Order: sequence, then C-alpha cells, then structure tokens
Amino acid sequence: MSEFLMVIIGGLASGAVYALVAIGVVVIHKATKTVNFAHGGFVLLGAFAAYLIVVQLGWTYWAAYVIVPLLIGALAMAIEMAILRPLRKADLFTVITATIFIGIGLSETYRLSYNTEILSMPKPIAGPPFVFGEVILTPAQLWVGAGALAAGLIGLLLFSHARIGRSMRAMASNVRGATLCGYSVNQVYALAWFMGGALAGLAGVFAGPSKGISPDLAVAMITAGFVGAVIGGFDSLRGALLGGLLLGLAETFAAAYVSSAMKSAISFLLLFVVLLWRPDGLFSERKIRDV
Amino acid sequence: MQEIRKQGGRWLVGRRTFMGAALAAAAVFAAPALHAQQGVTANEIVIGALGPLTGAFAFIGAPGRDSIALAIDKINEAGGINGRKLRLVFEGANTPAESVAAAKKLVEETKVFVLILASGSTGAAAAADYVRAANIPTYNIYGATPIIRLPFARNIFHSAIPGAETSGKAMIDEVFRKVPNAKKVGILAGTYAFPQSHLKAIREQMATRAGVEVVVEQFDAAARDFTAQLLSFSRQKVEAVMVLGSYTEAGFAIKQAPEKGLPASMTWVLDGSGVNDGIVAIVGQENTKNLHGYYNVPYFPTQVDDAPMAGFRKIWIAKYGTPPQGRPNIYDLVGYGSTYVLAQAIKGAGSNLTWDSLITSWEKVSEAKPSALGGFDVIYPETFSATDHQGGRRLGSASIVGDKWKVVR
Repeated sequence: MSEFLMVIIGGLASGAVYALVAIGVVVIHKATKTVNFAHGGFVLLGAFAAYLIVVQLGWTYWAAYVIVPLLIGALAMAIEMAILRPLRKADLFTVITATIFIGIGLSETYRLSYNTEILSMPKPIAGPPFVFGEVILTPAQLWVGAGALAAGLIGLLLFSHARIGRSMRAMASNVRGATLCGYSVNQVYALAWFMGGALAGLAGVFAGPSKGISPDLAVAMITAGFVGAVIGGFDSLRGALLGGLLLGLAETFAAAYVSSAMKSAISFLLLFVVLLWRPDGLFSERKIRDV
Repeated sequence: MQEIRKQGGRWLVGRRTFMGAALAAAAVFAAPALHAQQGVTANEIVIGALGPLTGAFAFIGAPGRDSIALAIDKINEAGGINGRKLRLVFEGANTPAESVAAAKKLVEETKVFVLILASGSTGAAAAADYVRAANIPTYNIYGATPIIRLPFARNIFHSAIPGAETSGKAMIDEVFRKVPNAKKVGILAGTYAFPQSHLKAIREQMATRAGVEVVVEQFDAAARDFTAQLLSFSRQKVEAVMVLGSYTEAGFAIKQAPEKGLPASMTWVLDGSGVNDGIVAIVGQENTKNLHGYYNVPYFPTQVDDAPMAGFRKIWIAKYGTPPQGRPNIYDLVGYGSTYVLAQAIKGAGSNLTWDSLITSWEKVSEAKPSALGGFDVIYPETFSATDHQGGRRLGSASIVGDKWKVVR
C-alpha cells in the first residue's frame, strides 16, 4: 500500500508539470487557433534560462520563477509577431509546419550554444524526506508537484476569469465578433503567445531539476503537453490540467508495475484510446448540436 | 665480353647480367615500397579515428576527438615522430552501422595508417570484425567489450580501459569494502554493449560468492526514469547497488532512489563512466557521501592540485577554451594519453613504417607514458607484449571528496 501511495505521489508530481505544459498549448490554441509545436522548445529554453540564473549566476530559484516566465513569454510573443503574424492568412498546414521548425530551431540553438550531453540543476528545495509510516515524500516532489499545479491553476484562472483573459476568451469565442467589439487581433494574439510562452517557461523551471536539460527535454515535454491537451479536449483548460495529471499517473503506474520502458508507450496508448473512444477528449467544452 | 647473345634462335643472358638486372628490378620495385604503406608519406602519417559526436554517447566520442587532436598538436609542435608530422582524420559514428561504415571509409578511402576506435564498446564491437579482416593496426582506446578483444588479433591493441572482468572485479571489491557483510546486492545495468559485458563478468564473479544474492534490473540507453528498477530494489531490500551505465543514467537513478523507498544510506558503486563530476550536480552534493567507483587513470580531471592534471587542463583550455560542464572527462585523459602511447610505438618502428613494423614495435612498448615525448602523465603507464595487447590494467579507487571526485588509491 505504501508503495502504491508513493507511486501516486510521483505520478501527480510529474503530471502537474505536464499539466502546466498542456495548459500553455491550449491557451495559445484557444485564443489564436494555432497548434504550437514549438512549445517544447519554449520549455527547454525556460529550463536553460533557469540553469543560467540558478547555476551560472548563483541566484535563487525565486528569481528564476519570476524572470523565466517573463523572458520566455517575451520570446514567444516576439516569434508570433516576427514569424507567425505574416503567416496569419496562410493555410493551417503552413502555420503548423512553421511552428514545427521554430521548435527545431529553438532546440538546435540551445544545442549549439551549450554543446554538452546534459545540464543539471540542484533541487529547488533541499531537506530530509517526510516519512509517513512507510510512505516517503521528498520536499522536492512536494514543491514541484504543488508549485506546478498552483501555477497551472493561476494560468487557468487568469484566462477564464481575469480581465486580462477577457480579450482572449472573446477571440476564442468569435474572432469577428471580438474584432467588432474593438479588440485588436494583433494585441490579443501577442498576449496569448506571451501567456502560453510564460507557462512553458515556468514548466521548464519546474522540469529542469528532475529531468535534466538537454534537447530531449523539448521532445518529452511537447509530447506530454499534447497528449495531456488531447486527453483533456484541446479546447478546455480544465481538461488540459486534468489530462496532464492523468498522463503523469498513467506513466508512473506503467513504469512501476509494467516496465520503465513502457512509460513513453503508455502516453501514446492513452492518446489512441481517447481519440478512438472520445475524439473530443474527456473534458471537452466544445458545444455540439444535432441538426 | 658479350653478356647477351643469340644462340640457335634463343637469347642467352649471362649470369652477371641476369643478377644485375634482377637487383635493379628489385630496387625499382622496393624503393616505392619503403613509402608505399598507406597513410605514410615522407613527411606525414595519417591517423584515422572514429566515435560518436552527437547523441547519448557524445560524452565519449567528442572528448576522444578533442584529446587526440590535442596530443597530436603537441607532438607535432615538438617536431613530430621521426621527422614526420601526424595528421588526424576523425569520423563521427553514432550507431553500430555508422561505426563499421566509418572504419571502412577511413581504411579504404582516406587510407589512414592507423585506426583509433574512440567509440566505446558499442562502436568497437561493431567494427571488430572489419578491423580484424582489414589487418590495419587498430587502437581500441575506450571499448571494454570482449568482442573487440576475443579472439586475439595481432593488429588490435587496447589502452587504459581493461576488459570487463578486471573492472567488474574492481566494482565487486568496492562493494564489499564498503558493505563487508552484504547479503543482497543490486545491479542496475544498461542494455547496451558496455554495461552488458560488465554485467556478464560481474554475474560470473558474484556466482562464486556463497550466500550473496544478486538482484539485476536493466534500463535502456539514456533512460531518465528508474521507477520500476528502484521499486524492485526497495522491495527486495538490497544493501548496495552497482550501476553499470553513464553518469547521467546513474545520477537520475540515485536522485530518484529516496522517492522510491531506498534508504539515503544506500551504497552506490559506479563504473568508470559513472565517475564524472556531472553526477554531483544531478544527485545534489548532499547525496554524494555513499557514491564510489573505480577509475582508469591516476587522476580525476578536476584534481588540478596534481601537476600532470594541472598541465593537461592548461593546454586543454588553451586549445578549446572554457570547458563545458563535465569536461575534460576521463575520455579526454585516455584519448590524450593513448595518442602518446601510439606515438611511442610509431617512433619505435623507425622511419620505414609499415603495418608490420608498427605492430612489432608496439608489442615491445613497455611502461609507456606521455612524459617520454614531453606530454603530461594523465594515464597509468602502458605495457604490451606479443601475447598481451592490453596496455593498461591498473585501476584506481574513486570517491567524492567535498564536491569533486578524487582517485584515492
């Protein structure tokens, strides 16, 4: 039983980071209708920026939690303005291709700038583990799990209820209507990319210490983010949150009770099952009318 | 005196004329043969090398390339070998197929004189059959796999990384030095060539220890999640774990261990590729007290208080700039030192360089160390013979002192 509980805790901790990535993917998609395959690159650069702040500059993790989202958010916004804005009238295929290669470009930029196998960061919080009977919970697990979950919830609340998210919600609901109400498409798109990039950067700060920083991180995170988002319904922020957590649990249970090699396979299996059984995801907010 | 005359429709040649002509012909054909060995000209010797430059094993191949080039630069600056300069041609090769292709290209197209396998066990095992058949003098500097060692081949030499049975024994000794009464020992082994050859050797040796149970768990290359393996060790209450894999794999396993129920006091014994400062950053300095391993060279790269390491590090930085995390590593040291050992074998072969003369000279190399040619002694001295092509067998014991690995014995 204690082992089972430890597996659940581990699954929720990694699931919370996946949820943060998935929410970023959905924010951008909801507001701009762009499927952002460069999101993993943003997570990687977020982790790298955190490495520079914490390891190279010797600042605290708190500095990374504040600076990195702003930095990566600004980068995402700049990419939207410089590359994707001119492609706004292009077809879906062109935009998707662009985001795929932006992601590859970000990963390769990292690889060229820091040609080492893996960069590692210290744990964000040290100290002896908490022991409840035979259940062990490390401070780092608690910090990453709770922190990523809290950040995801804040992102969700900002989009769904805050004034800053109103323009994005309007754009998500009806672009033409929102434009007629006075919202600027350029500003809203830039804001959405900033918010999505900031969430990705924050996910990088949480993921970096436990997974290490290498180009593989971009691939792992974009895969997890997309699977989490698809499970959740792709247009639902709550769905993305729950989808990420579900994915984290599924991966950890597969690793613990089947094989560690099954960890990646289970995410794709879950994706196929959801797509076959409920193509709109488990928590879709899309309204379907029979006519 | 008529030496060539016609008699009865046949040309007769005098003995002296015949001998003279034969000698002249021999001289004509033999003269180019003095420089006919591929990869050797009057003023240059081409050395080929291969290894992984990207991907999960770039931590082996990239240091190999850099350190061989560094040693060659220094040897050339000092005048080269017997009047000839050395030139390196390095081919990147990540997979077994690429390793064979790179070896073929270097031998058959580039026509190198000597081949250095700077590729670890996977690449060395893949290229083994080809280099045996090609008969080119080959220096396996990183591969511990038995596939490159057995059956014995006269043209293949091995550097500071000994066979798996030697390093496996060193790991077992380290485990029982730290936990003398251990009854249950875990082995966490990668599924690729080097850990597998190590695993086989360790299993065989552990089988001879009565009353000790071995729990084996395996993982794929570049794994980052060890949930299943660590839970298994936790369930079976192992008292020490040997990790056969890279420092990143070992690091993430050790980092995740407390979350999976393994005690913080667990003893971890790492193989040579796990003994890397990069692991300190992964596991956190507070978790390094129980990390041990063996080391193939007398100094850990950060032991810069020792003169040879300080000198080596200085020339490394002068050539490549501020090193990234984890560099220079053991593969830099072995690559650099091995190039000097090779240079001594070439020097001993004299100016009439052929594959055979090099192999004969190499088999006479005794206690070779870089300082003999002006380098820094960052490897243990190497000795070869006609029946033993393993240059280095000595292993040091390594532990983390402060936040750095140190070779303590």
